[in-house]
Amino acid sequence: MLEKNTLESGTAVDAAARPGISRRDFLVRSSIIAGSGFLSIGLPGLVASTGAEAAIGTPAYTPAIWFTITPDGKTTMHIVKTEMGQHIGTGLAQVIAEELEVKWEDVRLDTPLESVENFNIYGLAYTVNSGSVTTEFDRIARAGAAGRMVLVEAGAKVLGANVADCHAESSRVYDKVSGRSVGYGEILQKVKFDRKFTYPDDLKSIVLKDKSQYKIIGKSVPALDIPSKTNGQAKYGIDVFLPNMAYGALVVPRTRYSSKVLSIDDSEAKKIPGFIKAVKIDDSMGKCTGWVVAVADKFPTAMKAAKALKVKWDAGPYANLSSADLLEQYKQLAKDEKAGAAWVLEGDVDKGFGEAEKVLEMEYTTDMVCHATMEPLNCTVQMTNGEWHVHVGTQSTSFARMTLTGYLSKVLKKKPEELKIFVHQYLVGGGFGGKQDYDDILAAAYCVKEIGRPVKLIHTRESNFATSFARTPTYHKVKAGIKDGELLAMNQDIVCGWMGARFGVGKKYGTDWLQQDSWDEKKQDIDQWSIGGSDHWYYMKNHRVRAWNHEPTTWAVQASALRTVSNSYNIFVVESSLDEVALAAGRDPLEFRLSMLNGKGGSRGIPNTGYPEGTRSDYYMDQLWISLPWGKDKAWVPYESATVGGALRLANCLRVAAGKAGYGSKKLPPNTGMGIAVTAAEERQSPTWVAGIAEVTVDPATGTFTINKLTIVMDPGTVVNPKNVEAQIRGSALWGASQIMSEKLTLKNGGFEQTNFHDYVPIRLAQVPEIDVTIIDSGHHPSGVGEPASTIVAPAVANAIFNAVGARVRHMPISAEAVMTAMKKA
Amino acid sequence: MPTLSINGQSYFSDSPPDTPLLWVIREDLRLTGTKFGCGQGLCGSCTVHLNGQPVRSCQVKLGDVAADSLITTIEGLDPSDAHPVQQAWIEAQVPQCGYCQSGQIMQAAALLAVNPAPSEEQIVAHMNGNLCRCATYSRIVGAVQRAAQLMKEETNHA
Repeated sequence: MLEKNTLESGTAVDAAARPGISRRDFLVRSSIIAGSGFLSIGLPGLVASTGAEAAIGTPAYTPAIWFTITPDGKTTMHIVKTEMGQHIGTGLAQVIAEELEVKWEDVRLDTPLESVENFNIYGLAYTVNSGSVTTEFDRIARAGAAGRMVLVEAGAKVLGANVADCHAESSRVYDKVSGRSVGYGEILQKVKFDRKFTYPDDLKSIVLKDKSQYKIIGKSVPALDIPSKTNGQAKYGIDVFLPNMAYGALVVPRTRYSSKVLSIDDSEAKKIPGFIKAVKIDDSMGKCTGWVVAVADKFPTAMKAAKALKVKWDAGPYANLSSADLLEQYKQLAKDEKAGAAWVLEGDVDKGFGEAEKVLEMEYTTDMVCHATMEPLNCTVQMTNGEWHVHVGTQSTSFARMTLTGYLSKVLKKKPEELKIFVHQYLVGGGFGGKQDYDDILAAAYCVKEIGRPVKLIHTRESNFATSFARTPTYHKVKAGIKDGELLAMNQDIVCGWMGARFGVGKKYGTDWLQQDSWDEKKQDIDQWSIGGSDHWYYMKNHRVRAWNHEPTTWAVQASALRTVSNSYNIFVVESSLDEVALAAGRDPLEFRLSMLNGKGGSRGIPNTGYPEGTRSDYYMDQLWISLPWGKDKAWVPYESATVGGALRLANCLRVAAGKAGYGSKKLPPNTGMGIAVTAAEERQSPTWVAGIAEVTVDPATGTFTINKLTIVMDPGTVVNPKNVEAQIRGSALWGASQIMSEKLTLKNGGFEQTNFHDYVPIRLAQVPEIDVTIIDSGHHPSGVGEPASTIVAPAVANAIFNAVGARVRHMPISAEAVMTAMKKA
Repeated sequence: MPTLSINGQSYFSDSPPDTPLLWVIREDLRLTGTKFGCGQGLCGSCTVHLNGQPVRSCQVKLGDVAADSLITTIEGLDPSDAHPVQQAWIEAQVPQCGYCQSGQIMQAAALLAVNPAPSEEQIVAHMNGNLCRCATYSRIVGAVQRAAQLMKEETNHA
């Protein structure tokens, strides 16, 4: 998402608008330097415009390219995507290596530096939405294939053979006539080539391998980043040291957002040896509001000083706001039904309710949660020779640079183009959507400006919680009309704080990214990332979703994207309420779901030839260009949409899950039930088909529940690295389990109440249930695997609790008390 | 000035005696494999061995470390980074983001040092204090069991 600040910074706007337009051609080029050649793949239009020819001539660093083969035969893949636990470098390298025909043992990875120049070459460095493999697969596969084609041609020349008789394998080119072969390294030293593959004609001519020919894709090769994570050598942002570096610790402001510093008394802090300065951070851009950073020679000293500083704040407009107030305000908002923006509008819902024999009305709520990554937010900033260097592990080095550009241009009163800013990427100790904000970078840079030394700013766990970017609380009203055992009409009203405004996304801010017009006459902006998931894949003749934005929430809790984003609460509501409907309709929840996952209407998936114009629940990918498989001209569609097959693929996952879990056939112990849920997160445009069944036992005396087993079945299309996909499914399933069991963030007087892992409680080893994972490698275009499984666990568990003891809990997380209360109602 | 024996080397630190050992190890001595997670002994990311015992280094004050104490961090667990726990961790591909894994490995190695054949219940009880937000948990128990097996094989070959 674009930051508002970014938009204001001028250069960033132009730059951000460019990706996806002119980076489609490939350039395959070798250079001979001092007798040793190497091959690189780049993007000609951009290479030419940035003068990267010179850069290509430096064997030590080649920023203009996706991979480099050096004469020693080693291939270095340049990975722009953030490494934060998904082993994405390994996965992407597998795709390139497959088509390039390099020996896996010769593969190395590196990460390009983020700069204005490299941004123009690589495009936006942003790792989000479980989209890396989905969005990169085709073009890096073609890049690898283009490299192989050129190497085969050159190899044929070296061997004196016909190109048609030659093929590449394991970093060598073989001539089948003579039986002779030559290594890639040797070819590079003997032949110089400069070959352009144009879009679309030459790219069309690149024939990618058939799945049956895969040797590296589909193999569980060990992740390249793992060994260094077992011996202490892995380098995260927090592990950075710079000469003459000072440390910063944050004084936690009075409220999460909009506190204003009135005064700072540093008399006690000054008595601490090593204390340098209390820096009041410039918060005039609405970032780091009320922040004071204690800067000292060492971090423990900075923490002590932060405690010793006496800061007075004006606590701002949210000073009296608490979670209970938010819920009350949401309920008030939803009363004005005409104000809601229609996000889904199929058929005539009100007519359906009029014809129904039975109408169910349900209220659901969800609490806030936060990322609480194991590595607290931190960053190190240095200013040297007029250049700003940021050292950080982040989900977007590009947005980090752009945001800092906007901030420093204001703070230093300079034009953006006068600033030289570089962002050095490190391993990220947990992202989950929580490392795509840049407040710490701005604050550290401001400290650097104030003290004239490099500064490493580290959040304590307490300041990290206090400055969380929370998942919004939500309130839902669900209404269902039933006739003859069928669901005739369904309406879901959703009130929450939309995150878009905070990121500067929306028509109001001059961009339509991730926004949809409402389907009603008002054509209101709807923030897809805050409402998505409610547009599920069940076929419903009459279906409506209406959305309200509670903007004070957006700012007060700094609402943000957290693993699966709005799917987490919307799938909880959709899947819980469907069980309620099935019960009222006298249907079995499994059979009821399968009957609606029929591939009809909006649940049919999108044919490969593009989107049909004007249908309501089919969206155009154009807006979500980060997932865009084709140019806006739609001249050529290089790969199929992840939606191909639609709900029928989801139905298959559900059938397999039911069978594997023994749904309906397994004899269960007392007070034990199974619950079903399905999802097609992440976005409507990029579904990964997942079904899950939870087996849960409830203690009827206390209401406490235990998840005995999770059965999860996923069809993510082509599976690049099965063991890694399984790890992502297990980890995300447990993330979901953690959210339904115990994770809860609450607001009191404008601040978050939880401070550390004693009162914000993630899942621990002893609570881990048995997990049965099945991956259906359907061979379709790959979709993301890091998030979707987390969304189904909460509703599956809620449904299992109901089936175990008859307690319907319409709130996430589910407490033992809530189960007891619901049991009494049952 | 307090002298520390870490991974067989002696160090000194000029930090005040109330400084948590964690920050001395990480920031003064730059042995950054030991990670800061919570500062309250709640997550286990900072686990090191103090005289063979697993301790949360954020809860140990520099001044409380006795002069003859032997401290081992992840960097010193094995001279070739090939401790059976490390081998098993790679074999099972345990780490995801990896941030908590130094602590997990140090905690597991301490268990196997005193109990070469722990039961599943013993492993879970011993490892339960180590948080992992990626939830690599479902590979951890198996990896500890595998490490126990590797240790047994090493002993048999010795």
